[in-house]
This record gives sequence, structure tokens and C-alpha cells, in this order.
Amino acid sequence: MAPPTVTRSRKNLWITLLFALAVLIPSLYGFSGKFIEFVAVFRGESDGQFAITPIVNYLLATLGFFCLFGWAIMHGMFSDIERPKQVFLEQQEWLDQQLLAAQTAPSAHRNSAP
Amino acid sequence: MMDATARPEIDRPEELVETRLVTWFFLAALGYLFVSMLGGILVALQLVHWNPLQGLELLSPGRWRMIHTNAVAYGFIANGLLGACHWVVPRLTLKPVFSKALSYLIFAAWQIVVLSTAGGILLGEAQALEWGETPVWIDPVAQLGLLLVAINFLTPIIKSKGPMYVTLWYFTAAFVWTFLTYAMGNFIPEYFVSGTSAGAIGGLFIHDLVGLFVTPLGWGSMYFFVPILLRKPIWSHGLSLVGFWGLAFFYPLQGIHHFLYTPIPMFLQYGAVVSTIAVEMVVLTVVVNFFGTLKGVGREVITNLPIRWFYLGMIFYALTCFQCALQVTLTFQALIHFSDWVVGHAHLVMFGVFSMWIMGIMTYLFPRIWGVPWHSRRLSEWHFWFSGVGIFVMACDLIMAGVFQGFWWGALLPWEESVEGSMPFWMLRVFAGLGMFAGQIFFAMNLYLTWKDSQAAKAKAALPA
Repeated sequence: MAPPTVTRSRKNLWITLLFALAVLIPSLYGFSGKFIEFVAVFRGESDGQFAITPIVNYLLATLGFFCLFGWAIMHGMFSDIERPKQVFLEQQEWLDQQLLAAQTAPSAHRNSAP
Repeated sequence: MMDATARPEIDRPEELVETRLVTWFFLAALGYLFVSMLGGILVALQLVHWNPLQGLELLSPGRWRMIHTNAVAYGFIANGLLGACHWVVPRLTLKPVFSKALSYLIFAAWQIVVLSTAGGILLGEAQALEWGETPVWIDPVAQLGLLLVAINFLTPIIKSKGPMYVTLWYFTAAFVWTFLTYAMGNFIPEYFVSGTSAGAIGGLFIHDLVGLFVTPLGWGSMYFFVPILLRKPIWSHGLSLVGFWGLAFFYPLQGIHHFLYTPIPMFLQYGAVVSTIAVEMVVLTVVVNFFGTLKGVGREVITNLPIRWFYLGMIFYALTCFQCALQVTLTFQALIHFSDWVVGHAHLVMFGVFSMWIMGIMTYLFPRIWGVPWHSRRLSEWHFWFSGVGIFVMACDLIMAGVFQGFWWGALLPWEESVEGSMPFWMLRVFAGLGMFAGQIFFAMNLYLTWKDSQAAKAKAALPA
């Protein structure tokens, strides 16, 4: 039945948005406050730039991972998010069968995907 | 990771994993573990005035302590996890590492780095950075080694197609993070910044070494070995990715929580506190995921020895993270700073968590590689129980000692009184350490006997029928 699915997905969307706002508003408020404080320290003290090293470190690392996260989304890494855990186990089982086959009949061994 | 329907042609699957190298890494790791634990025991004996090496400058407790920490991090844990990577990455990607010759070169180079570090420390050439005491002339070699490690393992990962399994996400990040973390900690304070700034970088380095090198390789390995041993997939792959990305975004800012109440600006200290609490939430998702996976197969924790090692490590991991959440509050930090609480916490993380996982991996892989079961189940059980009970007693003992010390110092009692009051705790620590060391001796004995069994089995198989 289509209607319940639509209702559920709309409900999920609202819940997700609500949670996103609950997390983002205080964290953005906190971050901007601290960033303003950081700029004040940097400008106000001659040695203020020492605070810049860990911040730049963090921002660079986070930027790198933000780009990687974007790349992963664009390349469908999370499109079927539970599938890799099944593929992984099937693959290990298949590999063990290949190894067993290679041990028992080394010359006759050949790959054959189930 | 390959899609199930698109598996490549593997002509010689037995050559996919270089099992000999895995064994070498593991044996080297165990060698360093013995050296490290011996160092720990000597330092523990020094604290109760029983140092057998009194008066020998080269083997003084200050130098042994650095050997102890470096041998366990770069000798035992790095070798153990590199051995595990040589097993996991080719099996997950169905592609061999970039170059097996390079793997052997990395193995040799890494042992030279660790042994030179030990030599440098004993000769008084330690760099003034906690866990970065590698003498400055070794740093470029270690940095090059880490670059080669990244090239060797990232090549098959990049070549693999399809959505990646969570282990590969963790491993990919670990190879990049470790390279960057080592460079940040060993070169920036040495050549570019000084004073408080260098202190802040030092804090980031110590913590990132645990969180961005050992943690992703450790959890990545758990996501690989646990489902295989339980013969069922992880409870939620989506939740496992929440754990990975949470670590990626929240962890790098945490290190400054080692320097609360220092001249580092308070907004940086608060930032570290907030990101640490955020990581605790992330950790909760990871632990819940693994215990959810146990649903219906809980008995495996009793019967399956590697699984028992893994899950005990996870329980300790949850405990250490709970400790972290307490430690980073300014109120609690005022009590436990500089006390034995921190030493207990560090032991619980390095031995209670990561060493447990590496022991579990070795318990699973040695018989698989050698093709024979463990010679003695009883010795394996003793290895587990002596290690587990030993670290539990040691951690509880040191954590309690830390609280007592904090209150004594807070009450402004004379320093000598806190030393005298600590003596029973330090005495118990010696015996807990000896128990843990005994566990490793049982493991070494069992390992030797199992290897003899494998040689005998090979000789029998070689006989004409």
C-alpha cells in the first residue's frame, strides 16, 4: 500500500529535520561564539597566533574528511547502506572455499563465483 | 570491496595473503611486548624500592619508562596491527598489497626504527615529547616508513570497486591519519613552534596517536574478525558508519583535554571538552552495535576464545571512554591531574583494549596460518585469565590510588605522606603486572608447542603414503 509509506517517509523527514535543528542551532551558536573569541585572542595578543596551530590542524583535517564524505555520497557509497555487510561475509566464505579447493587440488583449481 | 557478483579471477588464492609476513609481524610484536612488560615491571619495582638495577645509569627507571611506552606502542601494537592489516586488506579487497617486496622492506625498516629508538633512549637521546621520544634522526626514516605503509595498503583499497565495508573506511583513514599525526607531533614542535603552542601540539599528538592510529585499525579489525567468527553480519552497517564519521569529525580536536588548566586559551580547552563528550556518544553507537551483533549467539563469548578476547576488550573500551567523559570535566580534572588515575587509564586503554584485541587476532590467526589447533586449550585459557584479571586489578588499583592522591594533594598534606599512602597501591600493581607477564609466558609456551605441532604435521604430510 502506497499511502502509509508516503506518510512514514514524511514523518521520518520531519523527525530528521527536527533532530538536525536541535543539534545544529546550539552547535553553530557555540562555534560562532568561540570563533569570535578566537579572532579576538589572535588580534589582541602578540603571542595569540599560538592558538592558531591546533585550530588550523583541526580545520584542515575536518575539511579533508568533509570532502571525502561528499565524494562518498556522490559515488553511492551509502545508497544501499546495509549491503556491504552481506557482501563481505559472502566474499570471505567464497575466498575460503577457493583456498580449500586450491589446497586439495592445486592444479585443477579455478575461480567460479557462486 | 568487490560486489558479490563481480569477483575477480584469482589464479592462486593462497598467495593473496603473505602469511609468512603476518607471522613475522606477530612474532616481532610479541618480542617487543616482553621487553615492554619487563620495563614496566622494573619501573613498578623502582616505585616500591626494589629496583634490581639500582645505580646503572643506562638502565635507570626514567629510561626504562620510555622504553616501556615506546616498545608497547611502536613495537607491540604497531607490529601487531600491521600483521593484521596484511591479512585483512588483501582478503577484503581480493587484491594483494601494492608490493610484497615493499612489505618485507617495511617490516625490516620498522624493526630498525623501533630498535634504534630503544638504543637512542638508552643512550640519552630522547626527543622531549611524550610518546614521540624517537630521537630526531630516526623521525625522517619513520615518516618515510609510514608513507610506504600508506602506499602499500591504499593501492588495493583504491582499486576496489563498489560501496566500501566499514573496515576499509577505518583503515583508509588510519593510514592517512597516522602519517599526518606522526609528522605533526615529531616535526612541528621540534622545528616550527615552541612553548605553549608546542604543548598544545604535544597533547594533540599523544591523543591522536591513540585515536587516529590505534583506534581505527583496532575497530576496523574488530568489524572484520567478529562477523567472521560469529558467522553473522554486524548488527547495523549504517550505525558502524556513524561511528566512523563521528570519529573523523570529532576526534581531531580532543587532544587539548590533556592540558586543562594550562595557559592554552579556555575556548580551546572547552572545544576539547565538548568534542570529547561528542566522541563518547559515537563510542556508544559502536559498542551497542557490537553487542547487538551478539544477539542469538551470546554463548560464543564463553566458548570462542578470540571472541572472548575481543568482547572483553570492548567492555574495557566502554569503561575507558566513560572514564574519559569524567576526566575531561574541569572539576574532575582538578582532582586526578598528575595522579595514578591517568596511569591506570592509559594501561586500561593500551593493554585492556588494544592488546586484548591483538591477542584475540593472534589466537585466531596463528592456528589458521600454521594449519594446526592450539597445542593446549588450558594454556590459552590461562593466557586469557591471567591477562584479563591482571589488567583489571592493575587498573582498579591505579585508578583508586589516583583518587586518594588527588585528595591528599588537595588537602595540602606533605608530599611524603602521599608517597607513603600510595605504597600499598604500588605494591599491588607489582603483583598485578607479574600476573599479566605470567599470562604472556603461557602464551609463548603454547605458541612454541603449537609451532612444533605444525612442523610435525608438515613432516607427516611429506611422508610418502
